[in-house]
Amino acid sequence: MTIVNPRVLAFLLGCMLLGGCGSKGSIDPVTPTPVVPTPTAYTLTLPAGFPTPVIPADNPLTNEGVALGRMLFYEKALSSTGTMSCGSCHQQSKSFTDGLPLAVGVDGVANPRGTMSLVNVLWSTQLTWDGAFTTLETQAQKPLENTIELHQPLPASVAKLQATTLYPPLFEAAFGTKTITPALTLKALAQFERTIISSNSRYDKYVATRAGFSADEVAGLQLYTTHIAPGVVRGAECFHCHTQPLMSSGYAGKFFNNGLDLTFADPGRGGITLLAVDQGKFIAPTLRNIALTAPYMHDGRFKTLEEVLDHYSDHVQMASPNLDPNLIQGINDPPFGTHMDLTPTEKRQVLAFLKTLTDSTIITDKRFSSPF
Amino acid sequence: MKTSKYFLFFGLLLVASMAGMQGCKKDSDLQTPGEVDLQISNVVGAKPLALDGTTYSTPAGEIFSVSTFEYYISNIKLTKSDGTVYVAPNTYFLVDQAKPATQHLAITGVPAGTYTGVSFIIGVDAATTQADPLALTGVLNPANSMYWTWNTGHIFLKLEGTVTSAGRPIVCHIGGYTDPYNAIVTATPSLAGKILSVNGTHSSTISLSADVLKLFDGVSHITLSTFSNGMMPGAEAVQVAKNYGAGMFTVTQTQDN
Repeated sequence: MTIVNPRVLAFLLGCMLLGGCGSKGSIDPVTPTPVVPTPTAYTLTLPAGFPTPVIPADNPLTNEGVALGRMLFYEKALSSTGTMSCGSCHQQSKSFTDGLPLAVGVDGVANPRGTMSLVNVLWSTQLTWDGAFTTLETQAQKPLENTIELHQPLPASVAKLQATTLYPPLFEAAFGTKTITPALTLKALAQFERTIISSNSRYDKYVATRAGFSADEVAGLQLYTTHIAPGVVRGAECFHCHTQPLMSSGYAGKFFNNGLDLTFADPGRGGITLLAVDQGKFIAPTLRNIALTAPYMHDGRFKTLEEVLDHYSDHVQMASPNLDPNLIQGINDPPFGTHMDLTPTEKRQVLAFLKTLTDSTIITDKRFSSPF
Repeated sequence: MKTSKYFLFFGLLLVASMAGMQGCKKDSDLQTPGEVDLQISNVVGAKPLALDGTTYSTPAGEIFSVSTFEYYISNIKLTKSDGTVYVAPNTYFLVDQAKPATQHLAITGVPAGTYTGVSFIIGVDAATTQADPLALTGVLNPANSMYWTWNTGHIFLKLEGTVTSAGRPIVCHIGGYTDPYNAIVTATPSLAGKILSVNGTHSSTISLSADVLKLFDGVSHITLSTFSNGMMPGAEAVQVAKNYGAGMFTVTQTQDN
């Protein structure tokens, strides 16, 4: 005798399962015997005082992944002409920039903007000058495929890599498969980029010991970190945008108009958000190794740091739309001053401080150099 | 026969429902700690705050827009019905109008009980803000762009924008932890008699509105067009802090989820 129709029983069981506590089923999937060893976790050493970076859960750093990423970073097969790699523009000796005002791709065509340094890029929550990307995995696709950069679609790059004897085993070691894909290529590149950490400058030593700076360097740091109180406290305002300890706005993810122009040939952040209030705003790039990364600004218009300081001190376009309010109110000599008006001594001091941000170890560190 | 069949059916249905819907709510869950969430909406008077160039008017008729609005909330305390106070450990939040996720503050591990009050520091406590910056982690790290120097500590609240009626910017960076320019203030927005029931079976939400206009009114009226762009510890910063401590936060809703 059937007490309850089986369909009803099934329904009741369904109710119990759906509303249950979500406890896991007791059936274990059959675990295949691994054919390759699991990748080993990469030990990322974070400098004291640096914030905790966000690393995507689906792309943890492994020794094998980082090593593969380093090879891909310097792999010229990723360009349509076989003549350039990521490392062609991101040159280690120049703190991963190229010394050019505007980046130039495989076909000799200049980009609208300059190459950005990659040091400490793992802390950047907004990537490139306008925050067009928020993860290194998505960002890396742009310069690889862009027709005025490496100019090669990822499927073509993948096919080239797959045809080598070198890469399939490296992908297997890093990701457990010899089948190379665009996604895995981008993941490996991102892993390598996340390891490029610069924290060995004289500034870092000064922060740790409060010693070792000249009088000019101490005064320069003071100016760097001082918000101008017009007529009361003199400052240079740098820190609001180039925030310590990364000396950039990449971690906070903020964009600023620093008064280069009255009208904007490049909308910057406004090109992404399409908001009028974001026109002419750009990320404040890192000032770490700034002495190595000339020329300066998104379009490389300033050849020297002296020119940069002259801009902030004397030539900010005060009527530029969306100009950062800290620059508008940052008048050191009221009531007649019209700009920040740093003295020659103050400029010298800020410059002396900026040079303490040079990390001479990272530009020769073998972990970041070409393996070829 | 038929009767017993349906009796059994409904009996089973009852058991199934209990197992399904009540399965997680053991009596012991009512005694385990729960979660209280603060959900913050930044507003300007009756309007939601937007950073897109929208202009607002003060009660005195000054017109302004806001480009940046950020502040710390820390040291959250919840008052139980019996008058005792639960101090939520290590609660430091940085609310940024540009980042919606930061406007949701989750306080976990709150002891089970009924609660009738909430308070918190708008800013950072003195001991923490004067810590070695190398020891500052998370939202307190200087990289969050809410920090001056070791001597002056954190910027507790940052408002930037334009006073369009006066054709000038407004830069309002409030901080300072030493007398006479101590700008650490505590907000105690009233729950208006509402009782929050906290336990391990659900989370409770306190919805708060934070009114930008209250920075410049309340204890002291501040005229935007003559505000001297407070950006260092000082008397004007303390005035603004007392204003926002007294009136910026209002509880708009409480809810047991």
